[in-house]
Amino acid sequence: MLAMLEALLLAPFDYGFMQRALVAGLALSLAAPPLGVFLMLRGMSLIGDAMAHAILPGVALGFLAAGFSLPIMSLGGILSGLLVAVLAGSVSQMTGHREDSAMASFFLISLAAGVMLVSLGGSSVDLTHVLFGSILAVDTTALVLIAGISSLIVVILAVIFRALVVECLDPLFLRGQGVRGGVVHGIFLGLVVLNLTAGFQTLGTLMAVGLMMLPATTARFWSHRLEGLIAIAIGIALVASTGGLLLSYHLSLPSGPAIILLAGSGYVLSALFGRHHSLTARWRRHAAPLGTPEHD
Amino acid sequence: MSRLQLHDLQLARGGQTVLEHLDGRFMDGAITALIGANGSGKSTLISAIMGMLTPVAGSVESRVPRERCAWLPQQLALDLTFPMSVEELIMTGTWPSHGGLKGYCGPHYRRGREIMARLGISHLAHRPLGELSGGQRQRALLGRTLMQEAELLLLDEPFANVDIETVDVLMEVLRDMARQGATIIVVLHDMEQLSRLADDVLFLAGGHGRWVSPDSLLDRYAGQPPRAPRLPLTFPDASHAGNA
Repeated sequence: MLAMLEALLLAPFDYGFMQRALVAGLALSLAAPPLGVFLMLRGMSLIGDAMAHAILPGVALGFLAAGFSLPIMSLGGILSGLLVAVLAGSVSQMTGHREDSAMASFFLISLAAGVMLVSLGGSSVDLTHVLFGSILAVDTTALVLIAGISSLIVVILAVIFRALVVECLDPLFLRGQGVRGGVVHGIFLGLVVLNLTAGFQTLGTLMAVGLMMLPATTARFWSHRLEGLIAIAIGIALVASTGGLLLSYHLSLPSGPAIILLAGSGYVLSALFGRHHSLTARWRRHAAPLGTPEHD
Repeated sequence: MSRLQLHDLQLARGGQTVLEHLDGRFMDGAITALIGANGSGKSTLISAIMGMLTPVAGSVESRVPRERCAWLPQQLALDLTFPMSVEELIMTGTWPSHGGLKGYCGPHYRRGREIMARLGISHLAHRPLGELSGGQRQRALLGRTLMQEAELLLLDEPFANVDIETVDVLMEVLRDMARQGATIIVVLHDMEQLSRLADDVLFLAGGHGRWVSPDSLLDRYAGQPPRAPRLPLTFPDASHAGNA
């Protein structure tokens, strides 16, 4: 029994590429879900998707300039992601259009530009790689980059945490304290871009959003508290990235989709059986009688 | 003494002048009622005092540090779906003294509990904001301004949609804050509330402001039919009070 478990769960990680893939997945799982929780709470769940498209032209330009060099491609991705975020923000401020419509326009332009650039310079295999990643091809350079970016995100998020919370809840209060909400918002979007750039090597630009949003939206079915949401989302991401890797190893599945689909099945199960707002929670109708002490 | 003065102030919204030639001083340690019809410029004046609206002419002279100014807006800008408890909201009031980075420590939590007890919301400490009634929310928000040790407090119709018990608690707390030297400005529509709370009145009408004493207003309106009796909040035969 024990030997079987070992063969199933531990043996795959004897391989160096699986070890690196695991570390990359775990690093991303610590940084991405808290960002996803804040995106969700700010009603910006789809912004992650838009930003993922926005980093594509930069990645493609990096690829054209330096071939398959992760640092250069990442740098390009960060720059184009930030550029789109800033452009969308300023267009919406100048024209009075809502930020999401400006964002939608820019990410569509970015996607088309990115696909065009990749096709001009490479083959369709390269395009697949950029769009969907390959966590099993993570080398040491990529690993250092991913771990470094993830750590940076966690640290910056800790620094702006209270400002971010207050800005979500009551922007006027934050303004009264002399902190401009726009600055906090900008830093936060910057972190989203950084995270997606770290994720694109392993999961691809499109799938990287999955590790950010799915654990967050799933956690909503299990907790009403911010700390709870973040902790549960991180837990889900850790399980999904480890489990997804094992699934992909044993069943010869592509690793990125395996990770995201595992997280996705967690979402579906939680929507059915979760503690709050799920289908079964709607059936469980009961309330504590008057006068019983509060607990949660 | 007055740390908040208006000098020939002219304010506009969307290119249209709302108020002009507004002068005067808000007394420290006093509660000033801001009265006037809808659209007379009360909210506009409050925005200008908070520094969120630049005057067309004249100036607002405030010697209260910006982080000690608190504002309870009428249309709550709060996102009530955000998962935060009453206690966490009140703790954010430590920002001016404690900054936005450091963790809270024992004395902060003790002060938070004192404030919640003072406002009668101790039992709601861990309740999410989204599950509060209007009155409970107003108490929690006032709790944050207490934690903030606000020296200038602006409230836009704080007693709208609030039961009389909450009104009593809020008024008592406001009175205490004024006694300790805070400058408080309250937008009011209710004569009875004005008579209980206001030390001074700034009356806005027709684009102008006039300072009047609460007594002169009360004199003028004395002899009008009395207000309808209040509705009861507890069962007359109840031996135990229900959940407020």
